[in-house]
Amino acid sequence: MIKRYFSLLLIVLISLRLSAQVWVVPAENETRKSPFAFDDASRKAGSDLYYTNCKSCHGEPGKNNAIPLVPPPPDMASAKMQGNSDGAMQYKLISGRGPMPSFKNTLSATDLWRVISFVRSFNPSYKQEIASASAAAGTSAQNVKIVLSWLKETNQVQASISGVKDKVNQPLAGAEVKLFAKRYFGYLLVDEPRTTDALGKAVFNFPKDLPGDSTGYVQLVASLTNDVAFGETKADTSLVIGVPTYRPPLTEKRAMWNVVSKAPIWLLLSYTIAVFGAWGFIIYVLLQIRAIYRAGGRKEND
Amino acid sequence: MSHNSNDTGHDHTNREKENVNSRRAFFKNFGLAGAVAAVGGAAIYSGYKYEESKPGHDMVKVLTSDNRIVEVPKDQIKDVRVDTDQLQKQGREGLKGHRFVMVIDLAKCRNARKCISACQGAHHLRPYEYHINTLVMQESEHTAPYFMPKPCQHCDNPPCVAVCPVDATFKRQDGIVLIDNERCIGCRFCIAACPYSARLFHWEEPLMAESDKGKPYNIELNIPQRKGTITKCLFSSDRLREGKLPYCVSACPNGVYYFGDENQDAVTNGTTKETFRLSELLRVNAGYQLMPELGTKPRVYYLPPKNRLFEFKEEKDPVQETT
Repeated sequence: MIKRYFSLLLIVLISLRLSAQVWVVPAENETRKSPFAFDDASRKAGSDLYYTNCKSCHGEPGKNNAIPLVPPPPDMASAKMQGNSDGAMQYKLISGRGPMPSFKNTLSATDLWRVISFVRSFNPSYKQEIASASAAAGTSAQNVKIVLSWLKETNQVQASISGVKDKVNQPLAGAEVKLFAKRYFGYLLVDEPRTTDALGKAVFNFPKDLPGDSTGYVQLVASLTNDVAFGETKADTSLVIGVPTYRPPLTEKRAMWNVVSKAPIWLLLSYTIAVFGAWGFIIYVLLQIRAIYRAGGRKEND
Repeated sequence: MSHNSNDTGHDHTNREKENVNSRRAFFKNFGLAGAVAAVGGAAIYSGYKYEESKPGHDMVKVLTSDNRIVEVPKDQIKDVRVDTDQLQKQGREGLKGHRFVMVIDLAKCRNARKCISACQGAHHLRPYEYHINTLVMQESEHTAPYFMPKPCQHCDNPPCVAVCPVDATFKRQDGIVLIDNERCIGCRFCIAACPYSARLFHWEEPLMAESDKGKPYNIELNIPQRKGTITKCLFSSDRLREGKLPYCVSACPNGVYYFGDENQDAVTNGTTKETFRLSELLRVNAGYQLMPELGTKPRVYYLPPKNRLFEFKEEKDPVQETT
């Protein structure tokens, strides 16, 4: 009996300790709001994103079938989850904690709001507040274009950004740009994110030793951090700025483990000599036996 | 003997006559048979045409790949055969221009076992059949223990491949060591040769032997698995072909695994999807290989368990109990 009380007390203590681990969200993030209104399209896109990225731990919303991690991943429809402000949800998605990974590199800013839009669809009493238009207007633009070029002397990559702002096509100042090199499984951040100057230009230092393909081509991808205001713009350019890299297939060299045609010469030689030697000896013995037989026959005839 | 030779002249003319007769008869018969065949053929063909045009065929409803339901005659249905020769060929050759490499960060592993269950799901293994073993490591009495996932090291000088007598296990141009279950004779030389104990033998009928029966054998997935043969970590070569990270790498919730291409000097973390320079990651964190002194040249690197993110717990943690 005492044991049972003790274990009950232990459970209560543990749960208290867990609930004490509050995920603190900075005040600045707490009040952030989505720049666009949540609609069916954003909920649909968010649903797709949720099922590919979040469902494996958090389970299906409303079914309480999250996997038992410590701390437990809350259900999307739960009061605990819906108690977060939109900004707090965005902060938690970006920063991650413990077993909850950061989605900073996996989801774009727009996609983060789409996921939140989907999560909010499980809260019937939710009323969305959209970020004030005036705050967004100063930094937003349409038809944004990014052009990448190589500054050979300094081994730098320059991104020139322009867009339609106040109905005029002009260079965009103060936009944060990220530059990536495409690799087989993902995008490698080439340099720190840079902010464009008054001429809409941002310059990145390019590493001298980054391997390109056999002719030195590297596929560069540039995107704007604030894709909510500028739209999901991407530049995708291949430049000859990498180190030309050709590495032969790993099966090319002769080795013990390789196929017969790629076996070491000494092995092929010694094997051939051994086989021919053995057969040669057998044939030699047979020939000798025949010679003896014939010699015996001759003697008989005589 | 001499008597017979006197009669030859008479015999000869007689036989010639017979020969001529039979030749004539043959041509006659041939012409007749030809005519019969032509008429019969035409009759069968017109009958076939008539049968074909009849509406009362046995029809079957079939869902096409573009989601339309169509009706086709039952006798016209053919089984689609997957080109197993092509699967074998591409599986043997590997992906051109790549050298795949894995980095395992020991500081982040908390034995969540998600990699293992994803791997077992993909390759149809039982819960106690491992392509990845998670070891509990403790260097000495007074140092902290840690978890170490250990898949096949995909060595550049693989002792297992060298000892295989039937060319069932082999190394590809992209560095991956695979096993062909259809060639394997179950001699287990490779198990004896592997210093990392990365290989597993199917002593019993594989988990999904019944449901996998008749499936085309995919050498890059080892499905269907076969009793009496070897199975091992494949670096998920079927996923790599699609440009995706391996099953274990993308299933890890703790960011333990990095996977990438040595030729591009980049590895991508399976959890955060962040990409790093391989050379820099290994240099900064003092990455190492398992038993390099054996000269096996492994393609798996480890980052030492410094600044561990999780406390080591000897007792079973809840995640482990549910998997």
